[in-house]
Amino acid sequence: MHRCNCENPLVPEIVEVVDIIDETPDVKTFKVRKIGGGVPFNVMPGQLAMVSLVPVGEGMFSVSWQEEDDHLQFAIKRVGLMTDELHRIEVGQKLGIRGPYGNGFPVESCKGKNMLFIGGGIGLAPLRSFIKYCFKHREEYGKITIIYGSRSYADLCFKEELFQKWPKERDTEVYVTIDKPEEGWNGHVGFVPSYLEELNISPENTIAVTCGPPIMIKFVLEVLEKMGYTDEQVITTLEMRMKCGIGKCGRCNIGSEYICLDGPVFTLAQLKNLPPEW
Amino acid sequence: MKVFKRAKLEKVLDKLSASYEVHVPMKRGAQSGFFDYRTYNADFDELVLDVLNVLKPPKEAVFPQTEKMYSFKQEGQDVIIDKVYENEDKRIVFGMRSCDLMAISCLDDVFLTRGYVDTFYKKRRDNTIFVANACYSPGRQCFCDSMGVNPVEPELADVVLREYNEGYVWEIKTEKGEEITALIADLLEEKDVNLPEPKGCTLKVDYEGVDKKLKGMFEHPMWERFSEPCQTCGICTYTCPTCHCFDIQVKAWGEEGYRFRCWDSCMYREYTQMAGGHNPRETAKERFRNRFLHKLEFFNERYGKPLCTGCGRCIFVCPSGVSIVKIIEEIKGA
Repeated sequence: MHRCNCENPLVPEIVEVVDIIDETPDVKTFKVRKIGGGVPFNVMPGQLAMVSLVPVGEGMFSVSWQEEDDHLQFAIKRVGLMTDELHRIEVGQKLGIRGPYGNGFPVESCKGKNMLFIGGGIGLAPLRSFIKYCFKHREEYGKITIIYGSRSYADLCFKEELFQKWPKERDTEVYVTIDKPEEGWNGHVGFVPSYLEELNISPENTIAVTCGPPIMIKFVLEVLEKMGYTDEQVITTLEMRMKCGIGKCGRCNIGSEYICLDGPVFTLAQLKNLPPEW
Repeated sequence: MKVFKRAKLEKVLDKLSASYEVHVPMKRGAQSGFFDYRTYNADFDELVLDVLNVLKPPKEAVFPQTEKMYSFKQEGQDVIIDKVYENEDKRIVFGMRSCDLMAISCLDDVFLTRGYVDTFYKKRRDNTIFVANACYSPGRQCFCDSMGVNPVEPELADVVLREYNEGYVWEIKTEKGEEITALIADLLEEKDVNLPEPKGCTLKVDYEGVDKKLKGMFEHPMWERFSEPCQTCGICTYTCPTCHCFDIQVKAWGEEGYRFRCWDSCMYREYTQMAGGHNPRETAKERFRNRFLHKLEFFNERYGKPLCTGCGRCIFVCPSGVSIVKIIEEIKGA
């Protein structure tokens, strides 16, 4: 388990924003590096970090990728007070960071399996860390299928990877959908769960990993069940409001589990043992 | 036995507070709680070692209502963490009851175990000495002995006070207890005294098996009924000696500021409100249910004991008459 490196786990380390990429009108990817170079800590796919724009606020974000020992990437949607301010910063801004938090995706136990990734909106950010991990260790995973949807074309994150890079990877299929038809879009139109049902990807030797708005996750889980996926074959990553990140402040509990500590990644089997309060 | 006479109580506190910050139970106007003895003013305050229980619990000694964490400075795009405020002041909590000490044991579970040690808590905790006050005759709303607490043998105590007709027995339990005994040695005398017969709590509730039973009762209609009178004011969470939820907030002005944590309450909507608008515990019923399940089921599942020590404060303060004892009884009978 990767634990916080700092002596006092609630005090952040200062990092520098070295690049900012506009993904969509309300999502930006921030690349952060330790002052003097390198990553502040190593992160496994699916793990979290508490990022602070120090005078404004702190927020828990999934690390959307760790680029070697060079930097961490966070794809962050503008939805509230702190992310609003974050979207105004420029390269060179210093941020606070602490982590890594959470269990991350079970990258080891998924080896040898076909992988089915199902994402909606900004929910692709945490999945991306696992998807890129699979590509980096391509020979260790079977067929990779990515189903991703957003409200509109403009709202699709990571477009270059989605349309250029990932479809070119060996034994990989990428399916993209948008909610409503729009001019210039020749691809699929419709919600993610129904597209998933339409594609009907075989559950054989396959692990499905999903993340998106809670309502999408709920429907996706139903569809997967219908498609014959067992509860152990389905993985999701959840979001709750968090303050401490270390299982003390209380608010991110679902039943007796804390999302920051015991999650955010759960199999459907684990989820079914918890109250449906997410 | 080491004892001191009742008339010497203030002298004992004077001596201890020369070297330690001493938190003692006081009545202060309409308030009652554990307050710093150095702020004691005989004209307004009353020392109330006998009250069961003062409203503000003693958890502030290790987990203050508001606690500065670190300060920062910024200049343009640069930010530095200026100072981390880890408090290592030497402190005594004097006259703590068994329920409140068991609550500290719950806080220890939360802040010191499960992968992370909360440094702010640990520094305070390591420097805090507990002088307990054994309960020979528990209060009307006390039900600690139903929740696995022994009113006359407090956990974690460094010294145990036992009140007898003329004063208090001073029973040393630990090395830390020895240390503070040295400070008041001239006020203590050796004497064999008769202690009262422990009465036990008159309010009883059968908690046995409730944690397990609750596992299948998340969707039970009783939560609707239980939560109906609740105004989600959160007073139960503030007066609870075990409630430990906190918020982290920032105070910034110009180029500098600090981050602090403060008690939060699971009864508030904002507690789980996410920036995107989604709230997994949107309604009062959901928040009420989570609070009681946390106390009676979830904490037990995680740490092996309930997050209620039977102090009775929430029953006393609730403006709507919500009683955890009645709720346990109803769960038992459901």
